[in-house]
Amino acid sequence: MQPKLQDNTPGIRLSGVYRSGFALLMTLLVVAELFPLVWLFDFSLLKSGDFFGSNILKWPDPPKWQNYADAFRNAHIPLLFWNSLLVCAVSIAIIIACSVAMGYALTRMTWRWRKPTLALVMAGMIIPIYATLLPNFMVFNEIGLLNSYFALILPYAAFQIPVSMYIVTGFLETVPRALEEAAVIDGMTVPGLLFRIILPILRPAIATVSVLAFLACWNEFIMAVTYIDTDKLRTLPFAVVYFMGQYSSNYGAQFAVLAIISIPSILIYIAFTDQINRGITAGAVKG
Amino acid sequence: MHKILGDRKTIVWLMTPGLLLLAFMILVPIAVGFYYSLTDWNGVGDYGFVGFQNYGDAFAHDPVFWKSLLNSVLLGLGLVAVQHPLAIVIAMLAQYGGRWEKLLRVCIFIPSIISTFVTTKLWTSIFDTQFGLLNRVLDQIGLSAWQQDWLGDPGWAIACIIFVCMWQGFGYAFLLYYAGIKGVPKDLYEAAMLDGASGAQLNRRIVLPLLAPVLRVNLVLAVVSAFKQMETVYLMTSGGPGNSTQFLSTYLYSKAFREGLYGYGNAISLLLVAICLLVTLGMNRAMKREVGEY
Repeated sequence: MQPKLQDNTPGIRLSGVYRSGFALLMTLLVVAELFPLVWLFDFSLLKSGDFFGSNILKWPDPPKWQNYADAFRNAHIPLLFWNSLLVCAVSIAIIIACSVAMGYALTRMTWRWRKPTLALVMAGMIIPIYATLLPNFMVFNEIGLLNSYFALILPYAAFQIPVSMYIVTGFLETVPRALEEAAVIDGMTVPGLLFRIILPILRPAIATVSVLAFLACWNEFIMAVTYIDTDKLRTLPFAVVYFMGQYSSNYGAQFAVLAIISIPSILIYIAFTDQINRGITAGAVKG
Repeated sequence: MHKILGDRKTIVWLMTPGLLLLAFMILVPIAVGFYYSLTDWNGVGDYGFVGFQNYGDAFAHDPVFWKSLLNSVLLGLGLVAVQHPLAIVIAMLAQYGGRWEKLLRVCIFIPSIISTFVTTKLWTSIFDTQFGLLNRVLDQIGLSAWQQDWLGDPGWAIACIIFVCMWQGFGYAFLLYYAGIKGVPKDLYEAAMLDGASGAQLNRRIVLPLLAPVLRVNLVLAVVSAFKQMETVYLMTSGGPGNSTQFLSTYLYSKAFREGLYGYGNAISLLLVAICLLVTLGMNRAMKREVGEY
């Protein structure tokens, strides 16, 4: 597993004109990356009439919290939020169970088809998720899976398993086997090993896997609007669609919807920065 | 130890659920897609087998298919030639951030964790002709002649899409290189500095060569992501105006769900899978020769 990202560049500090140039460049970059989001939160608090003024940013005076209230009511936010949460939670549970079980069998256990199976699962990372959109739609339609949570949960879980398993196996490879060997000598069997030794050891990897899986499921849009067309089952991405049609002139509420959707992602990122960094860099840095 | 870890029954129990899920959600759809790609099914009723005609049509008679490929290549070029070099430079510079370093990292990365449908909706509003931010700013700084219907003009629309993809993925690319640089052993820095290397020399001669393996993986990921691209395009232009911004995945979507050409849409799905596999394998092989193994 990756070490925590920390300062390992000793003693290099900038001075004078370089320092100012550096500060300027980085400020520009941060503004470029964050400005649209600032704009989003700003506009989510404006009156609809303020949108066509000449100002780029306008101090919301007074902030129109009514936009958020409208968003909650007209875009059915509580229902969509709950549905999204449910889909995410079940997907994450499946992802963790499968990637830990497979990761263990593929790194610690010995069997003939181990290597080809590992390669096959990893190849799953290359397959573009939306190449299955159409055939899955037809299959789900045939077997009556359309308009059910599983139409989202199953593909979400399947497409997140390869990368999650990669993180788990990467972590397992750095863990010495001594503990497991001792436990086996004491008469423990594989289920015991998994639940009493491997799962506790894997906790950081599981945290990483869950956070990445959460972001992937929470942020997915295309499947969420293709496989579900029952009001009751819709997930958060659909809030945007509701507003594009019916309430398209209520700009403030539209921006409020967007803000409501992004807030959980931002909070999760701030709370789990290290886990996210580890997960994203786990694959690429090792080469 | 070996007896327990070689136990067939346990292995089957551990592997089966995951493998079944992968098979049913990835392999089966690809097989089903292949089956229907050989037909002229239009979504309802009977269909006939047409062999590989859908594939032939895509290659021989469909300019939009080639346009989609070209757009993917353009996006890939944008990522490889602009986004990644910039990400490497910024990742190198970020090391000098001192106590601001962590905050900088967080700020740069935030757009990457926001849903694509939020960020694209945002950018669509920025490019909007009526109340869009971009046209308003151009007006204010006296460049109203530069105002455009950004997403309504074929040339500008694809440029806007590439820009938004680069913007959203920048934090991701940055983080990969940033972590790669953090992995450079400390003693190498110290040795180089004892030998009197300047900051620029240090980065060019030591850090950059050591980033080569990271670079290889990241470039492959970037190019493949250009071919996989769907959400940003779907939400910003849905491939329009006039198919000028189609990518393979949006094109297969509009063929199937808008025109009802399920057979043809499936043929494009299959081509998309094949192209992603080929690009990954091809680039891996080419870059291995180029960069060498570490």
